[in-house]
Amino acid sequence: MNRVMLRSPGFKRLVACLAGSLVLAVMIGPQEGTQADYGYAFRQAVFKPRVFVFLGIGVLMFLLVTYWPRVTPYFTRPGAVALCTGLTTVIAAQFLLRWDDQVGNAKFGAVSRAVSNTSGLSPATTAFFSWLHWVQFLVIAVLAAFAVAQRNRMLAWVTAAFAVVAGGIAFYAHNDVISFSHVADHSFGAFTTLLGYLVVAVGCSAAALSHEQATHARDSIDRVLAWRPGLPIAAVGAAATIIAMTTSAWFSPLRLNASFSSTHDLFAGYGLSPISSQYLAWLGWVLLAVVAITALSSTYLRLRLGGWIAAGLGVVAVLLTVVTLYDISKIGADNNVDAATGPWQNLGSGGWLACMGFGLMAAGGFIAATAARTSTGSASPSTPDTAFVPSESQGGLSLRTASRSSKNLLFVGVVLALFLPPTMTEFWQKVLVSEIGVYVLLAIGLNVVVGWAGLLDLGFIAFYAIGSYTTAYLVGSLPHKPPAWLHMTPLLAIPFAITICIIAGVALGAPTLRLRGDYLAIVTLGFGEIIRITAVNNPGNITNSTRGPSPAVAHPRVHIGPVHITWGLNNLQYWYLLLALIVIVVILFYRLEGSRLGRAWAAIREDEVAAQASGINTPRVKLLAFAIGASTSGLAGVFFASQIGYFNPDNFVLNNSILVVAYVVFGGMGSLPGAMAGAAVLTWLPEFLKDQVPADDRQMWIGALVLLMMIFRPAGLIPARRRKAELGGLGSPPSSETRAVPASEGL
Amino acid sequence: MTAVTVGSEAHESDIVFDVEHVTLRFGGVTSLNDVSLRMYRGEILAIIGPNGAGKTSLFNSLTGVYTPQEGSIMLSGRAGDPPQSVLGKKTHVVNHLGVGRTFQNIRLFPALTALENVQVGIEARQRSGPISAMLGLPWQRREQRESTHFAYQLLGEVGLAPKANELAASLPYGEQRRLEIARALGTNPGVLLLDEPAAGTNPVEKRELAQLIQRVNTDRLVSVLLIEHDMKLVMSVAHRIVVLNFGEKIAEGAPAAIQRDPAVIAAYLGTSAEEAAAQAAAAPDVQLIEGTTEAPLEATPEDTRDDGEVNP
Repeated sequence: MNRVMLRSPGFKRLVACLAGSLVLAVMIGPQEGTQADYGYAFRQAVFKPRVFVFLGIGVLMFLLVTYWPRVTPYFTRPGAVALCTGLTTVIAAQFLLRWDDQVGNAKFGAVSRAVSNTSGLSPATTAFFSWLHWVQFLVIAVLAAFAVAQRNRMLAWVTAAFAVVAGGIAFYAHNDVISFSHVADHSFGAFTTLLGYLVVAVGCSAAALSHEQATHARDSIDRVLAWRPGLPIAAVGAAATIIAMTTSAWFSPLRLNASFSSTHDLFAGYGLSPISSQYLAWLGWVLLAVVAITALSSTYLRLRLGGWIAAGLGVVAVLLTVVTLYDISKIGADNNVDAATGPWQNLGSGGWLACMGFGLMAAGGFIAATAARTSTGSASPSTPDTAFVPSESQGGLSLRTASRSSKNLLFVGVVLALFLPPTMTEFWQKVLVSEIGVYVLLAIGLNVVVGWAGLLDLGFIAFYAIGSYTTAYLVGSLPHKPPAWLHMTPLLAIPFAITICIIAGVALGAPTLRLRGDYLAIVTLGFGEIIRITAVNNPGNITNSTRGPSPAVAHPRVHIGPVHITWGLNNLQYWYLLLALIVIVVILFYRLEGSRLGRAWAAIREDEVAAQASGINTPRVKLLAFAIGASTSGLAGVFFASQIGYFNPDNFVLNNSILVVAYVVFGGMGSLPGAMAGAAVLTWLPEFLKDQVPADDRQMWIGALVLLMMIFRPAGLIPARRRKAELGGLGSPPSSETRAVPASEGL
Repeated sequence: MTAVTVGSEAHESDIVFDVEHVTLRFGGVTSLNDVSLRMYRGEILAIIGPNGAGKTSLFNSLTGVYTPQEGSIMLSGRAGDPPQSVLGKKTHVVNHLGVGRTFQNIRLFPALTALENVQVGIEARQRSGPISAMLGLPWQRREQRESTHFAYQLLGEVGLAPKANELAASLPYGEQRRLEIARALGTNPGVLLLDEPAAGTNPVEKRELAQLIQRVNTDRLVSVLLIEHDMKLVMSVAHRIVVLNFGEKIAEGAPAAIQRDPAVIAAYLGTSAEEAAAQAAAAPDVQLIEGTTEAPLEATPEDTRDDGEVNP
């Protein structure tokens, strides 16, 4: 063994991979030890035969990294990316997700054990849960990989058909189990598996349909979406609606899973309103047929008018479905079915799935309608001279295709945000409101300061605190009561909280205008702590110290004319309130990003001296960033205070500020969807990991994920277009994948 | 060509920059020492001098980045503006008074597109605030349309319209230089300060640049103050030249006169003024400055690096 060999990059890489596999072995090993023997866990993890499994993984990683350049060309094959995504989704669904709410830990393994001990299920179900699931996965994976790599058209079509059948089997087997146990179902495992197989099928059909080679892996996705704008989304919607109408449960109190057709019989004699009765009898089916046909045909044929009709009909169908769901759950509550106290209870996932499907079909129609308009003539408003438009597609940015895929994502996101939460369990609804939603709002606000204006703010949670305490004061929950004319409900407190946070933002910003980077971060950190410690120290008895506001901050109420809404303890209600706030803020900020202020922020972030020389009043622009970011945080504070009722200064510790910064960086600094996705993923992950890893290990796994993310994708989950070039800098061509570690080093 | 009024009889408002006895020190280092000069409306004035002569310091003093300890700088940016002191004003305020500038080492906003770079310059002059932007109010939309339109027009003038939607960082070097000029023009300046616009560009780009500078000067009626090491460019476009050396003005005059000025030749060759004068007398046909441009004047490390990157 000579020195040259030791220094060769291949050897170093092998050592790194093996070391990484040992780390993985320790991470997955037993995390226990005693005072007398600290090395116990380490020995259990590393000095046992199991270590060879991990070393094998390390060698596999080494081979994968070494031969990666030979693998990557295959990713440009049409359908390859979709294929990989779909297969990964199936694996994840069968290993990580819940398949049932009843048995054991409810994951696939537990359900399949339960199924093997149960008689009375159909043979397909038993087969699926015992051996068919991995056989069909392997067969499809091998066939699809072969079809895409060899571009075998026939094989690709066959595999696509297989994948659809496999997804159907998985879904059928799950439904069989659920209807056997007669319990309302909140699990996503089977649904995700079906989705994964459908994505595989899409990948295979793309491979079969297209002979051109995409220049970049991402292009192939855009090409599928651009082939017939709106068609993919409408097709998914149609499939979802058909599933909802045929198999899913619409009304599922205890010991009952009434599907769409049996729901009508169930409520036959209970005075269902005419609309709902017609809907359940025949209108639902007609709507399904009409919306699906108009949406699919207008997207396929690129009919603009048809697109609008499909969009309108889809929205009408959603509304009718919601009305029907309200009616049947109301009757259920009136008859005290399963101790229901009000409408919207005991509903199965079928109705909401139908809403999602109709919504997606409407979105597909809308996309087709608007896409047809841009292709037929007048140029988009941002480019007055059409002669320049072609250069966009030639250039590195390809703004149009990017906006196309993001438009699809936007609609999917909105539809999921509207109709997925009702099918979730109580636990996830709570997480959605008090963790995910609130932090998404905070991340949107911090993105203005950190992402757009480039001012590192480590005291952001202070404005959240100010918003919360302002609300507490205005609803009369602090020791000092407001004058009677100022006593108000929480939602009315929003403008006041925003105003006070703007003032606080300017107060923080003004003295720190000359500071940059690390120095600014330290000052803002100090500001955050000042606010928290002031709340603890309780000068003049204004904050009620660590006990927090009492009595509890009132829940929001709205009484405008005939509209009376009172928010209580139902998390779902708060979710829709929060969703409305987020949507409003996102729309406003989206416009802001494209305005002169958005460009001015980008300018001072990129080069402050040049920005000044271009006439930008940098102090004003920075103060605006602080103020606008702070006001968003204050808005989140109002929501938080009125939702949670009781809070205290411990809710506003430095750790929370750092978390919000981490969310924004993880998602992609300066990217509005990125910041939201970052916050959503990193708040969802700890809760998700509760099912997957021992409680003590959770933070370690999250840390590992963040670490890997920052090494391999430093620009974030959804990188900002304006940020992409930053790590490349002037003079060097921008690369779509920025790296923190030069490619020659590291792996 | 517009009337270039040179001479003592010029009206006061025809003076763009009136620099009097300016001294700028950084600690013990005197960067500018008692420099006085006048720039007249409509002219192209070049400032030349060896490296470290204080050219960029003078630019930074004129634009409000540095505040000289002594002397006065009066500015009348656009035609008809009353003269105002630059001293103590913020950079963006000086820009609003009609001074656009470019930088020696290009300072574009790399992550913005070419179009957006120019829009930043244009929009610094607009009024609409964040609320009208968030609500998409009509006047904000109109301003945005105007800015896009004007930005395309400027990009067309510097020959970058087809690359409007490319990131500034992805443009070749010479185009980045021109984009910087377009961004400065976007602020509607009365006087444009160009800091070594030809550094790192190839001969073809230099010729285009010279044409661009003359076009800006004649069509847009913008006075141009130019720092440049490339003597061919300076001699071809400048109406007058000011020579700085070690922070002092050593000569001022028409290009032809400067070429033969003994003090200037001495400064560039590092000899004494007398020797240079003798040399010049002995060989009156030799134009020393033009002959010496290639080697000693462009030998700064930065320039060579730029050349290496850009030249085809």
